Amino acid sequence: MSGIKASAADRRDARFGYVLAAPSLTVLFLIILFPVLSALYTSLHEYTLIAPNFDIFTGFDNFRLALADAEFRHSAWLTIRFVIGVVLLEFVIGFGIALMLNKVERFKPIYYAILLCPLLMNPVIVGLIWRMFLHPNLGIVNYLLSTVGLGPVNWLGDTKIAIWTVIMVDIWHQVSFMIVLLLAGLASLPKEPYEAARVDGANAFQCFIHITLPMMRTVIIVTLLIRLIFAVKTYDLIYIMTRGGPGVATDLVSYFIYRTAFVGLNIGEASAMSIILLTAILGLTAYLYRYMRSIR
Amino acid sequence: MAGIELRNISKVYGNAVLAVDDVSLEIKDGEFMIFLGPSGCGKSTTLRMIGGLESISKGDLLIGGKRMNDVDPADRDIAIVFQNYALYPHMTVAGNLGFGLKLRGFDRAEIDRRIRAISDMLGIQPLLDRKPGQLSGGQRQRVALGRALVREPKAFLLDEPLSNLDAKLRAAMRTELIKLHHKVGTTIVHVTHDQIEAMTMGQRICIMKDGRIVQVGAPLEVYRNPVNTFVAGFLASPPMNLVAGRLEGEGQGTLKAVVGAASLPIPDAFRAAYAARSGSEVIVGLRPEDFHQSPMGDRSSPASVVVVAVELLGPEVILVAELGGTGGPEIMARMPRDFMARPGAMLQLHYDLTQMHLFDAASGTALSRPQLA
Ligand SMILES: Nc1ncnc2c1ncn2[C@@H]1O[C@H](COP(=O)(O)OP(=O)(O)O)[C@@H](O)[C@H]1O
Ligand SMILES: [Mg+2]
Repeated sequence: MSGIKASAADRRDARFGYVLAAPSLTVLFLIILFPVLSALYTSLHEYTLIAPNFDIFTGFDNFRLALADAEFRHSAWLTIRFVIGVVLLEFVIGFGIALMLNKVERFKPIYYAILLCPLLMNPVIVGLIWRMFLHPNLGIVNYLLSTVGLGPVNWLGDTKIAIWTVIMVDIWHQVSFMIVLLLAGLASLPKEPYEAARVDGANAFQCFIHITLPMMRTVIIVTLLIRLIFAVKTYDLIYIMTRGGPGVATDLVSYFIYRTAFVGLNIGEASAMSIILLTAILGLTAYLYRYMRSIR
Repeated sequence: MAGIELRNISKVYGNAVLAVDDVSLEIKDGEFMIFLGPSGCGKSTTLRMIGGLESISKGDLLIGGKRMNDVDPADRDIAIVFQNYALYPHMTVAGNLGFGLKLRGFDRAEIDRRIRAISDMLGIQPLLDRKPGQLSGGQRQRVALGRALVREPKAFLLDEPLSNLDAKLRAAMRTELIKLHHKVGTTIVHVTHDQIEAMTMGQRICIMKDGRIVQVGAPLEVYRNPVNTFVAGFLASPPMNLVAGRLEGEGQGTLKAVVGAASLPIPDAFRAAYAARSGSEVIVGLRPEDFHQSPMGDRSSPASVVVVAVELLGPEVILVAELGGTGGPEIMARMPRDFMARPGAMLQLHYDLTQMHLFDAASGTALSRPQLA
């Protein structure tokens, strides 16, 4: 490595490579890195919309304010619970369905197609559809419940129920993601260890515990992490279905930041919150990246 | 320990593939039995039916005298070694060895004792804490064997356990398996498509083709008396030369097999058996090892050949030549290691007539004759 210098041709190739990459790197910088850096800058300043170029440097004041804000803490804590709830429920349901589908031979493509439908839909559409379905008086869900003598349930208007409704809709929307990834994992497992385990005397449950789970470990962790990262950013569903309400019952952090910035016009503090959220997501992503690199 | 009996067993897979067709076979208690045949002939399927990994479509399977068709693999008390080892990738070697025992509720001390005994025997003691991913092919092979051995089952089923090893290791493991069988004395069914493995390891060979048993017998018995051209062409390497010919003449000294320009007299011992076939087309089977450079009294007949190629193998030389003269059927002959000849040269070889085989030209079955010892 050390003693050998790159030849002139190698250096020329490298330069040519940079030239080729330059346009896309520039675009990436402008549309991704620039806003992030701009948010970082804003978070460290007192920022007023009517006087955009007279920012006052305030250090970490915005961060202190944000962390002291009871509402921010509420939505951060709510988001943590929401994310854990959603990811765990989706995992359990998704793994269950994946295990069942893994045994299916006939009509597999049809099941796949049906499962993928929700995943192909825009979250805004999902939110709109479900808002109609769940309408307290006119929605089909309450109508169906009434036919068996139940309800009516105020799905999105009750402070106790609303968050669970959002969780349910998110599961409906995203569980296929888990199913598809876990199913791909299951399908790629070697089948010989199962035969060996059958001869060794393992029943179906023991096979699952001692063979399937350990062999699926990496797939499970990667799936959970990816889903976790996406769930933290949940915004569209809230915006469409509840606007964080009733009260602050479904005020997830992404939506709360939006409100702080564009309703409360508290741009500096909102930027600080975004940076905090970004750090959390970056942390998860870095862990995911490290984990995926550690798998041989 | 137990014998295994297959009674008219057939296997039809879901897609209507008849993989095993009416196979009957008795494997004696403690016997080392080989299933030999080309790829796709149903060896694995038969083995997996014995092991309980495939259902039996028709017929009865008896292990130790008891019908086992519907018994769970775990309760058949057999162990299987798979071609690709099928170790549990996430468990250590010790975990792999102990898993079956743990499931069967053995206590920790007994499991440890058995793992220690087996790993000593197979020389895998230093590997006990490693995962299969950290082992070489030969080491995995040993662990897979060990996993079968610790359970002390009634029978071992081995599905091409050596085919993933390199040639040298394969030869070493062959010997070890034979030694192992001597030591534990348990029934072993060993599947292979390698005729060298079959000849060297088995007490008996069961040769299969297209889901059927073609011939069963001790290795030498099968080598000396192949029932048809398939077996003749499958065993040994290079295999028996099979050339089209005619049976001509009759009476003492005149009955002969004519192959192109060559003619090979039929020895007196076989004359009575073959005479009735005189005048019919036959396939003549000539083993490469039965061509000699000098005559063997009245047992041999001279045969002139034209050299096509000479393959130097080291311990021996394979001579590829045209029998009877240029344009005659191509045959292979095993020659001593110092043999030399130029392509195109005409040579006089001597064929050991007592080793000649004749097969029916249409069906390929051996023409019956007195068995050679
Ligand atoms: N699971 C299966 N489903 C359908 N056909 C199979 C299956 N396994 C094997 N076969 C077919 O059965 C025949 C015998 O296969 P196999 O027993 O694996 O042969 P061998 O082990 O002698 O190579 C082959 O034609 C193969 O294609
Ligand atoms: Mg096979």
